[in-house]
Amino acid sequence: MSICQDLGLNFQQRMGANISQLERDIGSEQFPPNEHYFGLVNFGNTCYSNSVLQALYFCRPFRDRVLEYKAKNKRTKETLLTCLADLFYSIATQKKKVGSIAPKKFIARLRKEKEEFDNYMQQDAHEFLNFLINHINEIILAERNQSSLKLQKPDGVKENVTCNGSIPQNTEPTWVHEIFQGTLTSETRCLNCETVSSKDEHFFDLQVDVDQNTSITHCLKCFSDTETLCNDNKFKCDNCSSYQEAQKRMRVKKLPLILALHLKRFKYMEQYNRHIKVSHRVVFPLELRLFNTSDDAVNPDRLYDLVAVVVHCGSGPNRGHYISIVKSHGFWLLFDDDMVDKIDASAIEDFYGLTSDIQKSSETGYILFYQSRDASC
Amino acid sequence: MGTNMRKKTQVSFVIRDEEERRHKNGVSSLQLDPIQGRLYSAGRDGIIRVWHTGGGTQDRYIQSMEHHTDWVNDIVLCCGGKNLISASSDTTVKVWNAPKGFCMSTLRTHKDYVRTLAYAKDKEQVASAGLDRAIFLWDVNTLTALTASNNTVTTSSLVGNKESIYSLAMNPPGTILVSGSTEKVLRVWDPRNCSRLMKLKGHADNVKALVVSRDGSQCVSGSSDGTIKLWSLSQQRCVSTIRVHSEAVWALLATENFTHIISGGRDRLVIITELRNPENYMIVCEETAPILKLCFTADQQGIWVATSDSDIRCWKLPPLNSLNSDMYNQNNYNTNNVYQTQPLHNIVGGRAIKHYTVLNDKRHILTKDTTNNVVLYDVLKACKVEDLGEVDYEEELKKRFKMVYVPNWFNVDLKTGMLTIHLGQDETDCFSAWVSAKEAGLITENDQKVNFGALLLQALLDHWNHPNRVNEAGLKVVGNIYFSVPLHTPLIFSEVGGRTLYRLQVGDAGGETEGNLLMETVPSWVVDVAIEMAAPKLNKLPFYLLPHSSCQSKQDRQKKDRLVANDFIQVRKVGEHVVEKIVGGGDVNGTSKNEDCNNDSPEERVELLCCDQVLDPNMDLRTVRHFIWKSNVEFTLHYRILKQ
Repeated sequence: MSICQDLGLNFQQRMGANISQLERDIGSEQFPPNEHYFGLVNFGNTCYSNSVLQALYFCRPFRDRVLEYKAKNKRTKETLLTCLADLFYSIATQKKKVGSIAPKKFIARLRKEKEEFDNYMQQDAHEFLNFLINHINEIILAERNQSSLKLQKPDGVKENVTCNGSIPQNTEPTWVHEIFQGTLTSETRCLNCETVSSKDEHFFDLQVDVDQNTSITHCLKCFSDTETLCNDNKFKCDNCSSYQEAQKRMRVKKLPLILALHLKRFKYMEQYNRHIKVSHRVVFPLELRLFNTSDDAVNPDRLYDLVAVVVHCGSGPNRGHYISIVKSHGFWLLFDDDMVDKIDASAIEDFYGLTSDIQKSSETGYILFYQSRDASC
Repeated sequence: MGTNMRKKTQVSFVIRDEEERRHKNGVSSLQLDPIQGRLYSAGRDGIIRVWHTGGGTQDRYIQSMEHHTDWVNDIVLCCGGKNLISASSDTTVKVWNAPKGFCMSTLRTHKDYVRTLAYAKDKEQVASAGLDRAIFLWDVNTLTALTASNNTVTTSSLVGNKESIYSLAMNPPGTILVSGSTEKVLRVWDPRNCSRLMKLKGHADNVKALVVSRDGSQCVSGSSDGTIKLWSLSQQRCVSTIRVHSEAVWALLATENFTHIISGGRDRLVIITELRNPENYMIVCEETAPILKLCFTADQQGIWVATSDSDIRCWKLPPLNSLNSDMYNQNNYNTNNVYQTQPLHNIVGGRAIKHYTVLNDKRHILTKDTTNNVVLYDVLKACKVEDLGEVDYEEELKKRFKMVYVPNWFNVDLKTGMLTIHLGQDETDCFSAWVSAKEAGLITENDQKVNFGALLLQALLDHWNHPNRVNEAGLKVVGNIYFSVPLHTPLIFSEVGGRTLYRLQVGDAGGETEGNLLMETVPSWVVDVAIEMAAPKLNKLPFYLLPHSSCQSKQDRQKKDRLVANDFIQVRKVGEHVVEKIVGGGDVNGTSKNEDCNNDSPEERVELLCCDQVLDPNMDLRTVRHFIWKSNVEFTLHYRILKQ
């Protein structure tokens, strides 16, 4: 909390120094044309939003579709998506190469849309990402329904059904689906009759547990390890009409264009009655292939490149700060609210985590964005 | 009996015929008594049945041994046919008097499903194991000597298994015990001193069947990986891997001198293989369902086969020396090439209920069984209403649709192939359904409300001579004045989703022993209602009452009355409330209580609407909320005044 506020206060002084420094670091001839590196001003604990927005901005397929949306949709009703599109557009059309911008309208809209974000408290960046992607997707679906089908508003519908990463039936995928949505298949084998039943579910991100001194590949392997459903958690087998032991595993059936990996670093500890940050060192490679794919996977060979990381800095979920590191035109940048710095690729190692288990403050990768190589231009 | 106990115990009963002469579900295990010529079969309907094997008897059924409340997974006949030991998914092991068919004692040492038993004949020792990973050794002579007063039994346990055990075997002298589990290894013990001898690795999946040779030097295992392995225990290694089945191997039977192995499993084939020359094998027969157990006939010329279907068939075995003959040659799975296509005998099984739908009245259940036979049951009276035959299930459901909503008050379980109904105090509160006794057809006059769960519990326990159940004149008070349930109905008290505490038949509750056991087991929430006749709580339903938008009165538009009523209240009652409290209140446009209108019924004076739909005055509030409002929040009704 204190970090964020401090940044706000020192805003004026730092900005001038930083911008020129960044331009100098990159070098004017190396500076990519048509690219802008703009920090986002913190409105009091809004680093959870700033870090995610920067990461998403540098997920090129996402940025392109948002700007395309902006170009196609001439001002209708203000939504979180129009606010996001305006923000992205404003960054992309700045005259200066570097600087900072205040995402005022976006934050105001966000606070209106969701009660949980309507305060000055620390928020979880993953919860925000999850909300944002789902919400944008719903906006697109709603607009599509309105324009093409002209469905009359059904009477007596009281609650909005929030679709959690699942495609509503009879609907073409939206561009949000096309970018982020993958499919998991869970196979369950009853240990009595040995019948295998499988079920597909869609996801916008994969949430993996973290173990000390491991890698993302290890986390994904654990994610797909066989779990035995036993004791009080037996499986209700349709064939046996009874509860039986079963083995279950989840594998990826359709790999998304952008794979968002959420490292579950906030664990609820019963003995402390609160969430504790797990700072375990988990190596995330610059290139990634998935090995936990199902036998009938559509595109199991996708090769992914790391494009953005949302980093959590601090000792716990309710104290600390979020920053993001992104890859742009071959070099890496660190976005810390309104500040932007060029960093060396080797500095990414600093965000793997801590090798010792002593609870202390750490700067650790929290959400990883991997982009499929066949998606890049 | 604290609140803890209250939550934990549930009451269940089975809707069935008094005598169920056929297996209603798969058959997990078989044991033959060659002297008496009797076959014992362990049913997944929870019942062990006894059959004549001799001659061409028309009806082979002798008797049923009933006391388990879940699948019987394995049985062992011991003491020369005097006793039977059974293992069940109800987590108990039971000791039976085999000829008479009654349960002598129940062993509750296991904490999860008991899957498998092993028997050392020479020592009269039985081992049991299951999903709790524990193996217990029982001395049968101690078990059969247990009485009600002397019911403590010491047991040795073999520990070290890391995962659920699905198979066990001992040799007749009881010098070797082998267990198979999802750990994919065989663990071998010496049961004489409970010491671990070895661990054998090699299978790629669960080990579901085991046999050990008499001298304990060899062992054969059948696995879900589809292979059969012959192990030398003396050399601690796998001697050969037999691949004759295309799917998991679940049942094994070795010939007396351990020269041949007969196997069965998921591919429904019974195959006999020469152990030392596995290329010599023959398909004995093809069954209609996955094979669970094999058992020799008395002359060892045939085998009885149990499957996950309810039939038990006897097949002729080929002569052992014919296996290398050209006639039925090997190396293919051509099932036209089977030795026998017709069984010698068939003990025909019954049908298991596979689907059910609770009708909207939350009293009747429509079911469909393995042969698509459709039956209608009445849960309240614990009986079958009508056997509809092989009719269209969906059509029958449609025919019986009624636009009424009654809250759920019971859970249904089909694990035994029969209807088991659970009544509890968990997510489904068995006292949540209040209905009109008249509409339920229990009485013809007045508008009394009854509670389904309370009535049923009263009927189930009406034979229990509870001390508080006697009136001043010393006469027994009947709990349920409307109806009774069949006396043979099995009544079960168990921990929710878990272990059975006590099972008895409804008609036996009057006995002294039964009465004492009931005193120990029946939870207070049941006693309160079934014995003390306390009325269960009424369900309150909150709703908002507003004038309809077509209403002309301006100042009342914004007024939102929040009301609470019993959920079974009819719309008519709300109408009466509107007439009395709102219209008759006299604050609308100065028209105070209009005397002339008092002759009109409330229905003629106001109508009630929900989601702009005019409501039938006979409909109750919960039905309106469920079918018209379709949400659990902010239930809102509107009224429209027809006559001032």
